[in-house]
Amino acid sequence: MSIADPEVLDAPAPVLPWWQRLLRDPAALAAALVLLVVGICAVAAPVIAPHDPFASSRAIMQPPVWAERGDWLYPLGTDGQGRDMLSRLFYGTRLTLIIGLVSVGVGGAFGSLMGLLAAFQPRLDPWVMRFVDVMLSFPAILLGLALVAVMGPGAVPVVVALAVATVPDCARIARSIAVSVMKQDYMEAGRALGVSSMTLFTRYLLANCISSIMIFISLRFGQIILIGAALSFLGLGARPPTAELGMMAAQGRDFLLFAPHIAIIPSVLIFVIVLAANVLGDALRDVLDPRLRS
Amino acid sequence: MKRLLMSSALLLVGGIAQAAEITILREVDSNNYDPHKTTSRAASEVLFMMGDTLVSLAPDMQTIDTGVAESWSVSEDGTTYTFNLRQDVQFCDGKPMTAADVVYSINRWVDPETKSPVAWRAGEVDSVTALDDYTVEYKLTAPFSELLYQLTQSFGTIIDQANVEALGDDFGVTGFNGTGPFCWESWAPRDQMVITRHDEYAWGAGFHANTGPASMDRITWQIVPEENTRTVGVITGQTQVTQYVPYIALEQLKASPGVEVVQSDLAFWTYYMGFKIDKETVSDPAVRRAINLAVDQAAMSEDLFFGVVQPAYSYVSQEALDWNAGLDDKLLKFDPAQANAILDEAGWEMGDDGVRGKDGVRLAPTAYVFAGSTWGKISEAVQAYLREIGVDMQIQAFDATVAWGKLATQEFDMYGMSFPYVSSGDALNLYFRSQNAPSPNRMNWIDDKTDALLLAGATSVTDEGRAEAYGEVLEMVHDAAVWLPLYHEPMVIAQSTDLETVVPHNIYGAGLYKGLDLKYKE
Repeated sequence: MSIADPEVLDAPAPVLPWWQRLLRDPAALAAALVLLVVGICAVAAPVIAPHDPFASSRAIMQPPVWAERGDWLYPLGTDGQGRDMLSRLFYGTRLTLIIGLVSVGVGGAFGSLMGLLAAFQPRLDPWVMRFVDVMLSFPAILLGLALVAVMGPGAVPVVVALAVATVPDCARIARSIAVSVMKQDYMEAGRALGVSSMTLFTRYLLANCISSIMIFISLRFGQIILIGAALSFLGLGARPPTAELGMMAAQGRDFLLFAPHIAIIPSVLIFVIVLAANVLGDALRDVLDPRLRS
Repeated sequence: MKRLLMSSALLLVGGIAQAAEITILREVDSNNYDPHKTTSRAASEVLFMMGDTLVSLAPDMQTIDTGVAESWSVSEDGTTYTFNLRQDVQFCDGKPMTAADVVYSINRWVDPETKSPVAWRAGEVDSVTALDDYTVEYKLTAPFSELLYQLTQSFGTIIDQANVEALGDDFGVTGFNGTGPFCWESWAPRDQMVITRHDEYAWGAGFHANTGPASMDRITWQIVPEENTRTVGVITGQTQVTQYVPYIALEQLKASPGVEVVQSDLAFWTYYMGFKIDKETVSDPAVRRAINLAVDQAAMSEDLFFGVVQPAYSYVSQEALDWNAGLDDKLLKFDPAQANAILDEAGWEMGDDGVRGKDGVRLAPTAYVFAGSTWGKISEAVQAYLREIGVDMQIQAFDATVAWGKLATQEFDMYGMSFPYVSSGDALNLYFRSQNAPSPNRMNWIDDKTDALLLAGATSVTDEGRAEAYGEVLEMVHDAAVWLPLYHEPMVIAQSTDLETVVPHNIYGAGLYKGLDLKYKE
């Protein structure tokens, strides 16, 4: 039997586009749907919120509609200041997502650039990576606490803190991916053809690393949301009367015995967002990472 | 079997010999425990237990009783007080207390170098001298009708010169040698303060059921910032007594087995937010008046504190001695429409973002408050009311160990505070003397006329003269709307039924006073 005999070669299964493969994963689909709904609620908060999220009413600690004294006027009840929980959740989710997206976006972009440059320019490598090692030696939450302590509480310092905390991990991952890409023949070929460094960096290196980096950033998103909520829970993040999920959970602590919904509802929402982000991140890794294709 | 009997016997003996210990929960800690360098209630609570004063105050808040002084006399002109000291008083380290210690303590209190924010409470001191080992002569340059009352406060605690000098800046931080029923064991800031029984103590005032030594071997003052956790602590027996119970939980606590709630309405303790009147946001009296009109104290009292507290429109209780009844009808009460009208008239125009501004100044005052559930609730409620009139109050909350320092700066426009007093004069002298700026006169109310009137009130030898002088100051400060009064708080103590029922004291809001009557039931 000759090697070229077509009868003994399995025809390769056709490779579906990544989004089609994603749609075939029910868990990923559910997670994407949850994030979509949460995202729409966050974006449309000013339109769909039934009440002013900052205005106190005399209806203090009104329970949710399914509880005994519930009222459709406040479907999820009111908090300790008589503010509508549902409206605050819309606005709180908005801020929580903004904090997560901006910090992961900015931190991820900076980190990836550092990692890619380190791999692309070997003389920069030791400097960049030692700097990243120093940053890595601080746990993200500790780094966040220190930065907020210096800059003062507020949403902006939290975003800066979380972005800074995202940089080292992204830099390491980007570098490790880029180092293996740099060894590929097409990089060598590009150099031999006299392609400019900029083109080599963007069209050869970046284009071949970006999907793996994006997978990492999507996995990181859930974690960053959680740390951001933790900082707000500790009173270091958003300042009152701003609604933020972590802060709302913290404010509910005082009423845990008498109106548990004030703390539980935002906590459950944080849990759902983080879970959905992680599930979706995992699924994206499965469909985008060529090494996992089987 | 033999081993079982033996271990049972050991357990029994151990049980009998078990020390009487209690844990007292509270919301915040003090920045230090030096009686001359802090004005916090948290410090007074512990200082009353660790130290003694020349005279003490009975729970009726009127009767002056013995302290380390067993008797005293006052000269006819009201300027010279002679105190005869007990001869059996000892410090925790065993050293006898003498007149020299009293002289040192008072002189340190009033020494400008000490920079005590409450030096005025000792009166206009001319000299304090020891006539012999157990007699002290306290001379004033002018009569001070409140002197004996002021000497009952924790600021007049008798301290040990050797201890102060040995510890230096760490006095009241790493140690404290006092003559009180309990002695310093350890302090972990923002966590716990542990004090142990002073076995030699036998000089408690007659109004205590127990004049000493204390029944408790060890007291742990535990900081628990979350009120919910404090409530659970009371119900589950993790604490035996606390005066920091959330009002929302009172009904539940009263219904809980093993818990008893005692209340005293004799307390004069007022919560307010003050304005730093030279800041561009709140320097305009119209803004301050509008803010006063925008807040609904009655609703706050009802909604946030379940009607347990009394809404405040006056800077001191209208029941307090020397309150100016002529102001009763002039007090600023909730009227948001008028508040908006005042701001419009004063030229504060509403911006597109719903916040008013004038001459480039955005009406967004920064308010410094204490971190914790109480001020969290109050400040957010005030913030919501102020939004309705276009004032965007920015809240910055600080832990108590930092807050006292931050509140002595000029950084903020508004601040949240609560304070105890026995009379109008007591409150006015604390907050409105020019020399008390920047703390506790955090408003920067610098006014010669006020100072003259306060002096006239303090040195007046007639009740009418005093009331008239203090009444005029009350009118001036209310007219200028330098504060936003919020509510008057009663004293509520939740305790375990394992303890004898506590008699709530109201001295400086320290409900357990010297802790001598804390005792497990037989």
